[in-house]
Amino acid sequence: MKRRQLLLGAVSLMASAALVAGCGSTPAATPTPTPVEDPTGTITFWSSMAGMDKVAAAFNASQSKIKVIFETIPNGGAGGYAKLSTAITAGNGPDVATIEYPQLPQFVSNGQLQPLDAFINKAETVDKLTDQTKALVQFGDSTYALPYDAAPMIMWYRKDMLDKAGVGVPKTWQDFEEAGKKLKAVAPEAHLASFNPNEAALTAALAWQAGAKWFGTEGDSWKVGVNDEATEKVANYWQKLIDQKIVKVQQSFSDEWSADLASGAVVGVLGANWSATGIQKRTEASGQKGQWIAAEVPNWGSPADAFYGGSSFNITKSSKNPAAAAKFIEFLATSKDAISARGNTGSAFLAYPGLTPVAQKTFDSSYFGNDIYSVFNQAYATITPGWQWGPNWDITNTALKDAYGKLTNGGKVLEAVNSAQGATVAGLKQNGLSVKE
Amino acid sequence: MLTQAPKKPSAASPKAGRPRHAMSGTGGRTAALFLTPFFTIFALAMVAPVIYAMVLSFFAQQKSGLGFGEAKTAFVGLENYLQAMQSDSFVSGIGRLVLYCVLYIPCMVGGALAFALLLDAAAARARKLFQLMVFLPHAVPGVIAALIWAYLYTPGVSPIVSVLETGGISLNFLDNQMVLPSIVNIAVWEWTGYNVIVLFTALQAVPREILEASRVDGAGEIRAAISIKLPLILPAVSVIMLFTVIGTLQLFTEPSIISKATASVTSTWVPNMWAYDAAFNRHNLNQAAAASIIIALMAAVLSWTVTRFSSRNKA
Repeated sequence: MKRRQLLLGAVSLMASAALVAGCGSTPAATPTPTPVEDPTGTITFWSSMAGMDKVAAAFNASQSKIKVIFETIPNGGAGGYAKLSTAITAGNGPDVATIEYPQLPQFVSNGQLQPLDAFINKAETVDKLTDQTKALVQFGDSTYALPYDAAPMIMWYRKDMLDKAGVGVPKTWQDFEEAGKKLKAVAPEAHLASFNPNEAALTAALAWQAGAKWFGTEGDSWKVGVNDEATEKVANYWQKLIDQKIVKVQQSFSDEWSADLASGAVVGVLGANWSATGIQKRTEASGQKGQWIAAEVPNWGSPADAFYGGSSFNITKSSKNPAAAAKFIEFLATSKDAISARGNTGSAFLAYPGLTPVAQKTFDSSYFGNDIYSVFNQAYATITPGWQWGPNWDITNTALKDAYGKLTNGGKVLEAVNSAQGATVAGLKQNGLSVKE
Repeated sequence: MLTQAPKKPSAASPKAGRPRHAMSGTGGRTAALFLTPFFTIFALAMVAPVIYAMVLSFFAQQKSGLGFGEAKTAFVGLENYLQAMQSDSFVSGIGRLVLYCVLYIPCMVGGALAFALLLDAAAARARKLFQLMVFLPHAVPGVIAALIWAYLYTPGVSPIVSVLETGGISLNFLDNQMVLPSIVNIAVWEWTGYNVIVLFTALQAVPREILEASRVDGAGEIRAAISIKLPLILPAVSVIMLFTVIGTLQLFTEPSIISKATASVTSTWVPNMWAYDAAFNRHNLNQAAAASIIIALMAAVLSWTVTRFSSRNKA
């Protein structure tokens, strides 16, 4: 009798569980976009960028038809994209999200974003962007995002350490290596920069600067060239720097990196315009005010640069009010009030014309030794055209980061790049995409 | 650990037969009423996700061409399992877990036994104080413990590393060779105290007459500990082994936190992290489900082996 009861109980348990599992989540069908003249409603906005709460508040104050509820989430590397992707799949994602350019094609190809075309004034927004910026947010004839910042890769140096080594600001990568050697001669414990194994996007930017094209489309297939010639050149060069200990292999944004910046063990940061706040926070306590300068990244002979980072705003599939979301995105990406509302945060360099001077005025760059925004402007003018991100950046990102883990154990940058190529092609093919090498 | 239900008394007067029936009837219904909330939540929170994961693991999202169209959900049988088992990082993650067990279990179980036997020794002083101190690390949540140890391992920030440097020893706790022992160290620090309590409690159940007899026979404290107490608490040791093995297979927190501090720990370092990466970074929920089922099956097989081994020992 007891055993039968137990069996009955177990069977009913399984049955009820199966029923519950049966109501599994199926993604909601995309609502057909209908242009709404005067959108109203309440929308949610997720972002990890500092100061966005003030921008949302400014939008709410400027009009009464749309109310924006802001929620801060961890940045991408710390699980922000995992949280966003899971929420959208489960059906309770935000209306407006912030996604960086490398990850954008992945969200589009997973069907997690709604195209903006039907809801925005294209002439006033998308059509005013440069071709390179447009290429980052348009896929298959639809616009999936409005870009926020266009972040040129920037090199930051301690001017006093460069002076101590007796070198000027390096113009070419050759100069950079020479400067590194001279620095080692006068300060053996110091490194000219760090090589960050956790920043695969930086490797991509360096390859982009050198003219590489990791991802491209040929008809209906992807062409993947993570280890093409230009990237090989970059990989071998940085391996030389690592071997000569001119750069220190360490994770960016780790405690070790912060400690080294403060103590002077690392005197240069290869970052972007947005690195300014991070450098200031980590070094002002050790009295380095006025010693940090921004400079154009060293090049291979003629001025060239690439985007490193940069975010865009999107409407997710979970949004039930895409018209209102689009209005807010237009405000975020193109309105001067949005930039000044953000206040003194994150030395932003905006994609939409006319906004960068506003950002420059609101950001207090007195900590730095030169006019960082004029450097940003110069760098922006030399961006190498023709770069495209692939349909699943995470496969390449993870493969590179994992391979870089072997760098302190005899691994080489070139090996890492080659293994990333293999992993990317295999991973994309596993998802059913057609890939050419 | 389930205790046996008390057996019904075989001898029963016929008069007591009917009321006993009636009582057990109402008792059964009342019990069912009280148990329903538990079983509902259990079904929703524990059983349903397992069944959903099993279903997910047999399907896959298929895209075509450039991948910007809608994905189709297709039945792929054991394909996801094959992909997981063929993935280098998954298999090397399992190998790493084996190595982790080889380092961790002797250290932790040995340490817990040593502490428990010392605490139980007749000559032990300030027993409560030492019990508290040994247990205190376990009171620290796993994530916090990993963060603290990450600081203690990071060169430039850690006092331990700088003290060793001044002594002339240059140790990098986070490089490729040292990172596994370093993580084992965190786990040993966290769990030894907990298992000391389990073993100490088991030691209290050792009949004092046996110990007195051994003392009369001339056994010293150490001899008594090794030859008498240890064999008598072997059931408790096998329980600890069971829980430890299952816990080790689910290793996730410590490597995740340490991976932020060093590039030696990749994002797919252990099978659980591989499943997390598949689900949340690569957005391949089906492969993640397959990996999770594989880990669960390994846990089931290992628990069965440990239980068989310990019950054969008992017999």
